[in-house]
Amino acid sequence: MDKIMVEGINKNMDEIIERWIRRMKEEKGERFFHFMPDHLVEKTSREFAELMTSNISDSSAANTERINDFTEKVVRFGWAIKFVNKAIDNFSDVVYEFLEEQEIINESNLRTFNIIFRNWINPLRESIIDAYSTEWERTVSLQKIALQELSASLIPVFDKISVMPLVGTIDTERAKLIMENLLEGVVSQRAEVVLLDITGVPVVDTMVAHHIIQAAEAVRLVGAKCMLVGIRPEIAQTIVALGINLHEFTTKSTLQRGMQAALGMTNRAIVEVEAN
Amino acid sequence: MNARIPILKLNEVLIVSIQWELDDQTAIQFQEDLLNKMHNTAALGVVIDLTPIDFIDSFIAKVLGDVINMTGLMGAKVVITGIQPAVAITLIELGIRLSNVMTALDLENGLDKLYKELEA
Amino acid sequence: MDLRSSVEIITEWDIVAARQLGRNEAKKAGFGTVDQARITTAISELARNIYLYAGKGKIEIERVTDNGKFGIKIIASDEGPGIPDLRKVMEDGFSTSGGLGAGMPGVKRLMDEFKVASETGAGTTITTTKWLH
Repeated sequence: MDKIMVEGINKNMDEIIERWIRRMKEEKGERFFHFMPDHLVEKTSREFAELMTSNISDSSAANTERINDFTEKVVRFGWAIKFVNKAIDNFSDVVYEFLEEQEIINESNLRTFNIIFRNWINPLRESIIDAYSTEWERTVSLQKIALQELSASLIPVFDKISVMPLVGTIDTERAKLIMENLLEGVVSQRAEVVLLDITGVPVVDTMVAHHIIQAAEAVRLVGAKCMLVGIRPEIAQTIVALGINLHEFTTKSTLQRGMQAALGMTNRAIVEVEAN
Repeated sequence: MNARIPILKLNEVLIVSIQWELDDQTAIQFQEDLLNKMHNTAALGVVIDLTPIDFIDSFIAKVLGDVINMTGLMGAKVVITGIQPAVAITLIELGIRLSNVMTALDLENGLDKLYKELEA
Repeated sequence: MDLRSSVEIITEWDIVAARQLGRNEAKKAGFGTVDQARITTAISELARNIYLYAGKGKIEIERVTDNGKFGIKIIASDEGPGIPDLRKVMEDGFSTSGGLGAGMPGVKRLMDEFKVASETGAGTTITTTKWLH
Protein backbone atom coordinates (compact mmCIF):
# COMPACT_ATOMS: atom_id res chain seq x y z
CA MET A 1 0.00 0.00 0.00
CA ASP A 2 2.82 2.45 0.95
CA LYS A 3 4.52 1.65 -2.29
CA ILE A 4 1.56 2.57 -4.42
CA MET A 5 1.33 5.80 -2.56
CA VAL A 6 5.05 6.65 -2.85
CA GLU A 7 5.00 5.80 -6.52
CA GLY A 8 1.90 7.86 -7.05
CA ILE A 9 3.54 10.81 -5.33
CA ASN A 10 6.92 10.49 -7.01
CA LYS A 11 5.48 10.20 -10.47
CA ASN A 12 3.55 13.41 -9.99
CA MET A 13 6.01 15.27 -7.83
CA ASP A 14 6.10 18.36 -10.08
CA GLU A 15 2.37 18.66 -10.10
CA ILE A 16 2.15 18.24 -6.32
CA ILE A 17 4.87 20.79 -5.69
CA GLU A 18 3.24 23.29 -7.98
CA ARG A 19 -0.09 22.92 -6.28
CA TRP A 20 1.54 23.16 -2.92
CA ILE A 21 3.43 26.34 -3.82
CA ARG A 22 0.26 27.87 -5.19
CA ARG A 23 -1.53 27.08 -1.99
CA MET A 24 1.29 28.44 0.13
CA LYS A 25 1.19 31.68 -1.83
CA GLU A 26 -2.48 32.03 -1.07
CA GLU A 27 -1.64 31.94 2.59
CA LYS A 28 -0.78 35.11 4.42
CA GLY A 29 2.70 33.67 4.73
CA GLU A 30 3.37 34.60 1.12
CA ARG A 31 5.89 37.19 2.25
CA PHE A 32 8.18 34.39 3.30
CA PHE A 33 8.47 33.31 -0.29
CA HIS A 34 8.66 36.93 -1.25
CA PHE A 35 12.10 37.42 0.20
CA MET A 36 13.56 34.55 -1.75
CA PRO A 37 14.51 34.57 -5.41
CA ASP A 38 12.30 32.33 -7.54
CA HIS A 39 14.84 29.62 -8.20
CA LEU A 40 15.45 29.32 -4.46
CA VAL A 41 11.73 29.00 -3.80
CA GLU A 42 11.69 26.25 -6.36
CA LYS A 43 14.76 24.56 -4.91
CA THR A 44 13.74 24.69 -1.24
CA SER A 45 10.21 23.68 -2.08
CA ARG A 46 11.50 20.64 -3.91
CA GLU A 47 13.78 19.81 -1.05
CA PHE A 48 10.89 20.24 1.33
CA ALA A 49 8.71 17.97 -0.78
CA GLU A 50 11.42 15.33 -1.07
CA LEU A 51 11.92 15.43 2.63
CA MET A 52 8.19 15.16 3.19
CA THR A 53 7.95 12.07 1.06
CA SER A 54 11.20 10.45 2.10
CA ASN A 55 9.93 9.11 5.38
CA ILE A 56 6.73 7.52 4.21
CA SER A 57 8.66 4.30 3.93
CA ASP A 58 11.79 5.24 5.82
CA SER A 59 12.00 6.40 9.40
CA SER A 60 15.68 5.62 9.94
CA ALA A 61 18.39 7.68 11.60
CA ALA A 62 19.70 8.90 8.26
CA ASN A 63 16.36 10.52 7.80
CA THR A 64 16.65 12.39 11.11
CA GLU A 65 19.91 13.79 9.88
CA ARG A 66 18.25 14.95 6.66
CA ILE A 67 15.52 16.62 8.63
CA ASN A 68 18.09 18.43 10.76
CA ASP A 69 20.00 19.61 7.70
CA PHE A 70 16.85 20.81 6.10
CA THR A 71 15.61 22.58 9.20
CA GLU A 72 18.88 24.40 9.53
CA LYS A 73 18.45 25.68 5.98
CA VAL A 74 14.88 26.73 6.63
CA VAL A 75 15.91 28.58 9.80
CA ARG A 76 18.50 30.45 7.80
CA PHE A 77 15.88 31.41 5.22
CA GLY A 78 13.94 32.91 8.06
CA TRP A 79 10.87 30.73 7.68
CA ALA A 80 8.71 31.12 10.73
CA ILE A 81 7.76 27.96 12.55
CA LYS A 82 4.10 28.79 11.96
CA PHE A 83 4.82 28.89 8.28
CA VAL A 84 6.65 25.56 8.34
CA ASN A 85 3.75 24.05 10.20
CA LYS A 86 1.33 25.39 7.62
CA ALA A 87 3.57 24.05 4.90
CA ILE A 88 3.34 20.57 6.35
CA ASP A 89 -0.45 20.82 6.63
CA ASN A 90 -0.83 22.05 3.09
CA PHE A 91 1.53 19.45 1.74
CA SER A 92 -0.37 16.59 3.27
CA ASP A 93 -3.67 18.11 2.10
CA VAL A 94 -2.39 18.47 -1.43
CA VAL A 95 -1.09 14.92 -1.49
CA TYR A 96 -4.34 13.59 -0.09
CA GLU A 97 -6.45 15.42 -2.64
CA PHE A 98 -4.15 14.37 -5.38
CA LEU A 99 -4.25 10.72 -4.44
CA GLU A 100 -8.01 10.97 -4.24
CA GLU A 101 -8.17 12.44 -7.73
CA GLN A 102 -5.93 9.69 -9.02
CA GLU A 103 -8.25 7.26 -7.32
CA ILE A 104 -5.36 5.70 -5.48
CA ILE A 105 -7.36 6.49 -2.40
CA ASN A 106 -10.92 5.29 -2.57
CA GLU A 107 -13.78 4.37 -0.28
CA SER A 108 -12.45 0.89 0.37
CA ASN A 109 -8.94 1.76 1.53
CA LEU A 110 -9.73 5.10 3.18
CA ARG A 111 -9.15 3.79 6.68
CA THR A 112 -5.76 2.24 5.83
CA PHE A 113 -4.63 5.46 4.17
CA ASN A 114 -5.73 7.48 7.13
CA ILE A 115 -3.44 5.45 9.33
CA ILE A 116 -0.59 5.71 6.83
CA PHE A 117 -1.07 9.45 6.70
CA ARG A 118 -1.09 9.81 10.43
CA ASN A 119 2.05 7.72 10.82
CA TRP A 120 3.65 9.72 8.10
CA ILE A 121 2.83 13.29 9.07
CA ASN A 122 2.96 13.24 12.87
CA PRO A 123 6.53 12.07 13.39
CA LEU A 124 7.62 14.39 10.61
CA ARG A 125 5.98 17.39 12.21
CA GLU A 126 7.38 16.46 15.58
CA SER A 127 10.92 16.06 14.39
CA ILE A 128 10.80 19.26 12.36
CA ILE A 129 9.49 21.26 15.29
CA ASP A 130 12.05 19.59 17.52
CA ALA A 131 14.92 20.33 15.16
CA TYR A 132 13.56 23.83 14.84
CA SER A 133 13.54 24.57 18.54
CA THR A 134 17.03 23.09 18.97
CA GLU A 135 18.27 25.35 16.21
CA TRP A 136 16.57 28.29 17.86
CA GLU A 137 17.98 27.60 21.28
CA ARG A 138 21.42 27.40 19.74
CA THR A 139 20.93 30.72 17.97
CA VAL A 140 19.69 32.36 21.14
CA SER A 141 22.61 31.13 23.23
CA LEU A 142 25.09 32.22 20.55
CA GLN A 143 23.51 35.64 20.46
CA LYS A 144 23.68 35.81 24.21
CA ILE A 145 27.40 35.10 24.09
CA ALA A 146 27.82 37.66 21.34
CA LEU A 147 25.96 40.21 23.44
CA GLN A 148 28.17 39.50 26.42
CA GLU A 149 31.26 39.91 24.31
CA LEU A 150 30.18 43.29 23.09
CA SER A 151 29.04 44.50 26.42
CA ALA A 152 30.89 47.12 28.29
CA SER A 153 34.58 47.66 28.17
CA LEU A 154 36.16 50.49 30.09
CA ILE A 155 38.25 52.70 27.84
CA PRO A 156 41.05 54.83 29.29
CA VAL A 157 40.75 58.21 27.57
CA PHE A 158 43.02 60.48 29.54
CA ASP A 159 45.25 59.86 32.50
CA LYS A 160 42.83 59.29 35.43
CA ILE A 161 39.73 59.42 33.20
CA SER A 162 38.01 56.42 31.65
CA VAL A 163 34.77 55.98 29.73
CA MET A 164 32.37 53.06 29.56
CA PRO A 165 29.82 53.30 26.75
CA LEU A 166 26.74 51.19 27.45
CA VAL A 167 24.79 49.92 24.47
CA GLY A 168 21.53 48.01 24.46
CA THR A 169 19.18 46.72 27.07
CA ILE A 170 20.55 46.09 30.54
CA ASP A 171 19.28 43.02 32.37
CA THR A 172 20.44 41.67 35.71
CA GLU A 173 23.01 39.34 34.22
CA ARG A 174 24.53 42.06 32.05
CA ALA A 175 24.43 44.53 34.92
CA LYS A 176 26.62 42.20 36.99
CA LEU A 177 29.08 41.86 34.14
CA ILE A 178 29.14 45.61 33.60
CA MET A 179 29.79 46.22 37.28
CA GLU A 180 32.70 43.75 37.33
CA ASN A 181 34.28 45.16 34.17
CA LEU A 182 33.82 48.67 35.45
CA LEU A 183 35.47 48.04 38.82
CA GLU A 184 38.31 45.87 37.53
CA GLY A 185 38.94 48.56 34.92
CA VAL A 186 38.93 51.41 37.43
CA VAL A 187 41.53 49.64 39.56
CA SER A 188 43.77 48.46 36.73
CA GLN A 189 43.63 51.78 34.84
CA ARG A 190 43.91 53.78 38.06
CA ALA A 191 40.99 55.91 36.94
CA GLU A 192 39.83 58.65 39.27
CA VAL A 193 36.75 59.55 37.27
CA VAL A 194 34.71 57.16 35.13
CA LEU A 195 32.03 58.32 32.74
CA LEU A 196 29.16 55.91 32.23
CA ASP A 197 27.67 56.79 28.85
CA ILE A 198 24.04 55.65 28.50
CA THR A 199 23.40 57.25 25.11
CA GLY A 200 22.92 53.76 23.67
CA VAL A 201 20.61 52.46 26.37
CA PRO A 202 17.07 52.58 24.95
CA VAL A 203 15.12 52.45 28.22
CA VAL A 204 16.03 53.47 31.74
CA ASP A 205 13.46 52.01 34.09
CA THR A 206 13.65 51.58 37.85
CA MET A 207 15.64 48.35 37.53
CA VAL A 208 18.23 49.77 35.14
CA ALA A 209 18.55 52.90 37.28
CA HIS A 210 19.00 50.70 40.33
CA HIS A 211 21.85 48.83 38.64
CA ILE A 212 23.48 52.09 37.56
CA ILE A 213 23.24 53.52 41.09
CA GLN A 214 24.75 50.33 42.52
CA ALA A 215 27.59 50.49 40.01
CA ALA A 216 28.22 54.13 40.91
CA GLU A 217 28.29 53.32 44.61
CA ALA A 218 30.68 50.42 44.09
CA VAL A 219 32.94 52.73 42.05
CA ARG A 220 32.98 55.14 44.98
CA LEU A 221 33.99 52.33 47.34
CA VAL A 222 37.06 51.42 45.29
CA GLY A 223 38.03 55.09 45.40
CA ALA A 224 36.92 56.74 42.16
CA LYS A 225 34.02 58.93 41.04
CA CYS A 226 31.31 57.85 38.65
CA MET A 227 29.55 60.27 36.33
CA LEU A 228 26.47 59.45 34.28
CA VAL A 229 26.50 61.00 30.82
CA GLY A 230 24.40 60.78 27.66
CA ILE A 231 21.08 61.46 29.35
CA ARG A 232 18.59 62.13 26.58
CA PRO A 233 15.51 64.27 27.30
CA GLU A 234 13.13 61.31 27.34
CA ILE A 235 15.42 59.45 29.75
CA ALA A 236 15.48 62.49 32.05
CA GLN A 237 11.68 62.52 31.90
CA THR A 238 11.29 58.86 32.79
CA ILE A 239 13.84 59.12 35.59
CA VAL A 240 11.94 61.97 37.21
CA ALA A 241 8.53 60.46 36.50
CA LEU A 242 9.56 57.18 38.14
CA GLY A 243 10.84 59.09 41.15
CA ILE A 244 14.34 57.69 40.79
CA ASN A 245 16.82 59.60 42.89
CA LEU A 246 20.08 60.28 41.07
CA HIS A 247 21.00 63.32 43.13
CA GLU A 248 23.96 61.66 44.70
CA PHE A 249 26.04 61.55 41.60
CA THR A 250 26.98 63.89 38.81
CA THR A 251 25.01 63.65 35.60
CA LYS A 252 25.64 65.40 32.28
CA SER A 253 23.67 65.48 29.06
CA THR A 254 26.54 64.57 26.77
CA LEU A 255 29.85 62.74 26.89
CA GLN A 256 31.56 65.96 25.80
CA ARG A 257 30.27 67.93 28.78
CA GLY A 258 31.03 65.04 31.06
CA MET A 259 34.59 64.96 29.81
CA GLN A 260 35.02 68.67 30.52
CA ALA A 261 33.68 68.18 34.01
CA ALA A 262 35.93 65.17 34.55
CA LEU A 263 38.97 67.18 33.51
CA GLY A 264 37.89 69.88 35.93
CA MET A 265 37.56 67.34 38.74
CA THR A 266 41.13 66.22 38.11
CA ASN A 267 42.34 69.85 37.92
CA ARG A 268 42.86 69.97 34.18
CA ALA A 269 41.28 71.65 31.17
CA ILE A 270 41.53 71.54 27.42
CA VAL A 271 43.02 74.76 26.04
CA GLU A 272 43.37 75.93 22.47
CA VAL A 273 46.87 76.76 21.37
CA GLU A 274 47.69 79.35 18.74
CA ALA A 275 48.56 77.95 15.35
CA ASN A 276 52.02 78.85 14.18
CA MET B 1 45.17 34.99 69.65
CA ASN B 2 46.75 38.35 70.06
CA ALA B 3 47.36 39.58 66.55
CA ARG B 4 47.10 43.35 66.68
CA ILE B 5 46.94 45.58 63.67
CA PRO B 6 49.90 48.00 63.65
CA ILE B 7 49.05 51.70 63.51
CA LEU B 8 51.79 53.95 62.17
CA LYS B 9 52.11 57.69 62.69
CA LEU B 10 53.34 59.97 59.92
CA ASN B 11 53.31 63.61 61.01
CA GLU B 12 49.69 64.41 61.85
CA VAL B 13 48.34 61.37 60.04
CA LEU B 14 47.88 57.76 61.15
CA ILE B 15 48.39 54.98 58.63
CA VAL B 16 46.87 51.54 59.02
CA SER B 17 47.38 48.67 56.67
CA ILE B 18 45.16 45.69 57.31
CA GLN B 19 47.13 42.74 55.99
CA TRP B 20 45.06 39.71 56.81
CA GLU B 21 41.52 38.57 57.26
CA LEU B 22 39.90 40.26 60.27
CA ASP B 23 38.27 38.09 62.86
CA ASP B 24 35.77 39.67 65.21
CA GLN B 25 38.16 40.06 68.15
CA THR B 26 40.91 41.65 66.08
CA ALA B 27 38.40 44.05 64.55
CA ILE B 28 37.13 45.19 67.94
CA GLN B 29 40.67 45.40 69.32
CA PHE B 30 41.62 47.53 66.32
CA GLN B 31 38.73 49.91 66.98
CA GLU B 32 39.95 50.44 70.52
CA ASP B 33 43.63 50.75 69.59
CA LEU B 34 42.95 53.30 66.87
CA LEU B 35 40.83 55.52 69.10
CA ASN B 36 43.47 55.43 71.83
CA LYS B 37 46.24 56.24 69.38
CA MET B 38 44.16 59.12 67.99
CA HIS B 39 43.74 60.47 71.45
CA ASN B 40 47.43 60.14 72.35
CA THR B 41 48.82 61.61 69.17
CA ALA B 42 46.11 64.17 68.39
CA ALA B 43 46.21 63.03 64.77
CA LEU B 44 44.09 64.93 62.25
CA GLY B 45 43.54 62.14 59.80
CA VAL B 46 43.64 58.38 59.28
CA VAL B 47 44.22 56.30 56.16
CA ILE B 48 43.09 52.69 56.39
CA ASP B 49 44.36 50.52 53.53
CA LEU B 50 42.38 47.37 52.74
CA THR B 51 44.22 46.22 49.59
CA PRO B 52 44.92 42.64 50.74
CA ILE B 53 41.41 42.07 52.09
CA ASP B 54 39.31 39.82 49.84
CA PHE B 55 35.96 40.01 51.60
CA ILE B 56 34.12 42.13 54.17
CA ASP B 57 30.95 40.90 55.84
CA SER B 58 28.34 43.04 57.55
CA PHE B 59 29.98 42.70 60.98
CA ILE B 60 33.39 43.95 59.86
CA ALA B 61 31.68 46.63 57.79
CA LYS B 62 29.84 47.75 60.91
CA VAL B 63 33.04 47.88 62.94
CA LEU B 64 34.70 49.90 60.17
CA GLY B 65 31.71 52.21 59.88
CA ASP B 66 31.70 52.72 63.66
CA VAL B 67 35.44 53.46 63.70
CA ILE B 68 34.92 56.08 61.01
CA ASN B 69 32.04 57.73 62.87
CA MET B 70 33.96 57.69 66.16
CA THR B 71 37.03 59.15 64.49
CA GLY B 72 34.83 61.86 63.06
CA LEU B 73 33.54 62.65 66.56
CA MET B 74 37.13 63.06 67.68
CA GLY B 75 37.61 65.62 64.93
CA ALA B 76 39.68 63.62 62.46
CA LYS B 77 39.11 62.59 58.85
CA VAL B 78 39.29 59.02 57.55
CA VAL B 79 40.11 57.76 54.08
CA ILE B 80 39.66 54.08 53.21
CA THR B 81 41.89 52.89 50.39
CA GLY B 82 42.37 49.81 48.25
CA ILE B 83 38.90 48.28 48.48
CA GLN B 84 39.03 45.49 45.89
CA PRO B 85 36.35 45.30 43.16
CA ALA B 86 35.05 41.98 44.51
CA VAL B 87 34.77 43.48 47.99
CA ALA B 88 33.00 46.60 46.69
CA ILE B 89 30.48 44.49 44.78
CA THR B 90 29.67 42.23 47.73
CA LEU B 91 29.31 45.23 50.05
CA ILE B 92 26.84 46.88 47.68
CA GLU B 93 24.90 43.64 47.26
CA LEU B 94 24.75 43.23 51.00
CA GLY B 95 23.22 46.69 51.11
CA ILE B 96 26.17 48.34 52.86
CA ARG B 97 27.03 51.73 51.40
CA LEU B 98 29.54 53.30 53.83
CA SER B 99 28.10 56.50 52.40
CA ASN B 100 29.93 59.07 54.53
CA VAL B 101 33.40 57.64 53.95
CA MET B 102 36.12 59.07 51.75
CA THR B 103 37.74 56.46 49.55
CA ALA B 104 40.78 56.30 47.29
CA LEU B 105 42.35 53.78 44.93
CA ASP B 106 45.53 53.25 46.95
CA LEU B 107 47.56 54.58 49.85
CA GLU B 108 49.24 57.25 47.73
CA ASN B 109 45.95 58.63 46.41
CA GLY B 110 44.48 58.33 49.86
CA LEU B 111 47.19 60.46 51.45
CA ASP B 112 46.78 63.05 48.67
CA LYS B 113 43.05 63.23 49.28
CA LEU B 114 43.49 63.43 53.02
CA TYR B 115 46.05 66.26 52.84
CA LYS B 116 43.83 68.19 50.44
CA GLU B 117 40.90 67.69 52.78
CA LEU B 118 42.97 68.85 55.77
CA GLU B 119 44.15 71.97 53.95
CA ALA B 120 40.63 72.95 53.03
CA MET C 1 37.22 13.71 46.20
CA ASP C 2 35.08 14.65 49.15
CA LEU C 3 32.05 16.47 47.81
CA ARG C 4 30.78 17.61 51.15
CA SER C 5 32.58 19.23 54.04
CA SER C 6 31.31 20.86 57.17
CA VAL C 7 32.30 23.07 60.08
CA GLU C 8 30.64 23.06 63.49
CA ILE C 9 29.88 26.57 64.69
CA ILE C 10 30.37 26.83 68.42
CA THR C 11 32.84 29.65 69.00
CA GLU C 12 33.52 32.90 67.22
CA TRP C 13 36.61 31.31 65.70
CA ASP C 14 34.50 28.77 63.87
CA ILE C 15 33.08 31.64 61.80
CA VAL C 16 36.59 32.23 60.48
CA ALA C 17 37.08 28.50 59.88
CA ALA C 18 33.77 28.25 57.99
CA ARG C 19 34.52 31.11 55.65
CA GLN C 20 38.05 29.86 55.01
CA LEU C 21 36.62 26.51 54.02
CA GLY C 22 34.08 28.27 51.81
CA ARG C 23 36.69 30.39 50.12
CA ASN C 24 38.86 27.35 49.37
CA GLU C 25 35.93 25.34 48.05
CA ALA C 26 34.80 28.24 45.85
CA LYS C 27 38.31 28.61 44.47
CA LYS C 28 38.59 24.87 43.80
CA ALA C 29 35.22 24.85 42.07
CA GLY C 30 36.51 27.49 39.65
CA PHE C 31 34.62 30.59 40.80
CA GLY C 32 36.11 34.00 39.93
CA THR C 33 37.26 36.47 42.57
CA VAL C 34 33.93 38.30 42.77
CA ASP C 35 31.93 35.10 43.27
CA GLN C 36 34.53 33.86 45.76
CA ALA C 37 33.96 37.04 47.77
CA ARG C 38 30.17 36.59 47.48
CA ILE C 39 30.31 33.00 48.72
CA THR C 40 32.77 33.78 51.54
CA THR C 41 30.68 36.73 52.68
CA ALA C 42 27.44 34.73 52.58
CA ILE C 43 29.01 31.98 54.71
CA SER C 44 30.30 34.55 57.17
CA GLU C 45 26.81 36.04 57.56
CA LEU C 46 25.18 32.63 57.99
CA ALA C 47 27.80 31.40 60.46
CA ARG C 48 27.54 34.58 62.50
CA ASN C 49 23.76 34.20 62.68
CA ILE C 50 24.18 30.69 64.08
CA TYR C 51 26.73 31.92 66.60
CA LEU C 52 24.64 34.91 67.70
CA TYR C 53 21.13 33.44 67.76
CA ALA C 54 21.34 29.69 68.09
CA GLY C 55 24.59 29.33 70.02
CA LYS C 56 25.62 26.34 67.98
CA GLY C 57 24.99 24.67 64.67
CA LYS C 58 26.89 23.83 61.53
CA ILE C 59 27.75 25.01 58.06
CA GLU C 60 27.95 22.39 55.34
CA ILE C 61 29.42 23.05 51.93
CA GLU C 62 28.62 20.82 49.03
CA ARG C 63 29.44 20.67 45.34
CA VAL C 64 26.28 20.33 43.27
CA THR C 65 25.40 19.74 39.63
CA ASP C 66 22.13 20.29 37.86
CA ASN C 67 21.57 19.87 34.15
CA GLY C 68 25.21 20.44 33.30
CA LYS C 69 25.47 23.41 35.67
CA PHE C 70 27.98 23.30 38.49
CA GLY C 71 27.67 25.07 41.77
CA ILE C 72 28.25 25.26 45.47
CA LYS C 73 25.51 24.71 48.00
CA ILE C 74 25.74 26.01 51.55
CA ILE C 75 23.55 24.54 54.23
CA ALA C 76 23.43 26.41 57.53
CA SER C 77 21.53 24.54 60.22
CA ASP C 78 20.97 24.96 63.92
CA GLU C 79 18.66 23.73 66.63
CA GLY C 80 18.15 27.16 68.09
CA PRO C 81 14.96 29.08 68.84
CA GLY C 82 13.93 29.37 65.19
CA ILE C 83 12.84 32.50 63.39
CA PRO C 84 9.37 33.60 64.56
CA ASP C 85 8.66 36.00 61.70
CA LEU C 86 10.35 34.89 58.49
CA ARG C 87 9.02 37.73 56.43
CA LYS C 88 10.46 40.27 58.81
CA VAL C 89 14.04 38.94 58.72
CA MET C 90 13.93 39.07 54.94
CA GLU C 91 13.20 42.79 55.02
CA ASP C 92 16.11 45.10 54.36
CA GLY C 93 17.20 46.94 57.47
CA PHE C 94 15.74 44.46 59.93
CA SER C 95 18.15 43.35 62.62
CA THR C 96 17.83 41.96 66.09
CA SER C 97 21.54 41.98 66.89
CA GLY C 98 22.16 45.70 66.59
CA GLY C 99 24.21 45.02 63.48
CA LEU C 100 23.66 46.63 60.12
CA GLY C 101 20.67 44.41 59.45
CA ALA C 102 22.04 43.44 56.08
CA GLY C 103 22.16 39.76 56.96
CA MET C 104 19.50 37.61 55.34
CA PRO C 105 18.31 39.73 52.39
CA GLY C 106 21.97 40.46 51.70
CA VAL C 107 22.82 36.76 51.55
CA LYS C 108 19.90 36.22 49.21
CA ARG C 109 21.25 38.90 46.87
CA LEU C 110 24.77 37.48 46.98
CA MET C 111 23.65 33.97 46.04
CA ASP C 112 21.50 32.54 43.23
CA GLU C 113 19.09 30.38 45.22
CA PHE C 114 17.94 30.83 48.79
CA LYS C 115 15.57 28.85 50.99
CA VAL C 116 14.73 29.09 54.69
CA ALA C 117 12.98 26.46 56.77
CA SER C 118 12.37 27.40 60.37
CA GLU C 119 10.29 26.07 63.20
CA THR C 120 9.89 28.00 66.42
CA GLY C 121 11.68 26.13 69.16
CA ALA C 122 13.12 23.50 66.82
CA GLY C 123 15.70 25.35 64.75
CA THR C 124 16.44 26.83 61.37
CA THR C 125 17.93 25.49 58.16
CA ILE C 126 19.02 27.85 55.41
CA THR C 127 19.99 26.40 52.06
CA THR C 128 21.58 28.61 49.47
CA THR C 129 23.32 27.90 46.17
CA LYS C 130 25.63 29.74 43.81
CA TRP C 131 26.00 28.50 40.22
CA LEU C 132 29.07 28.78 38.05
CA HIS C 133 28.05 30.82 35.01
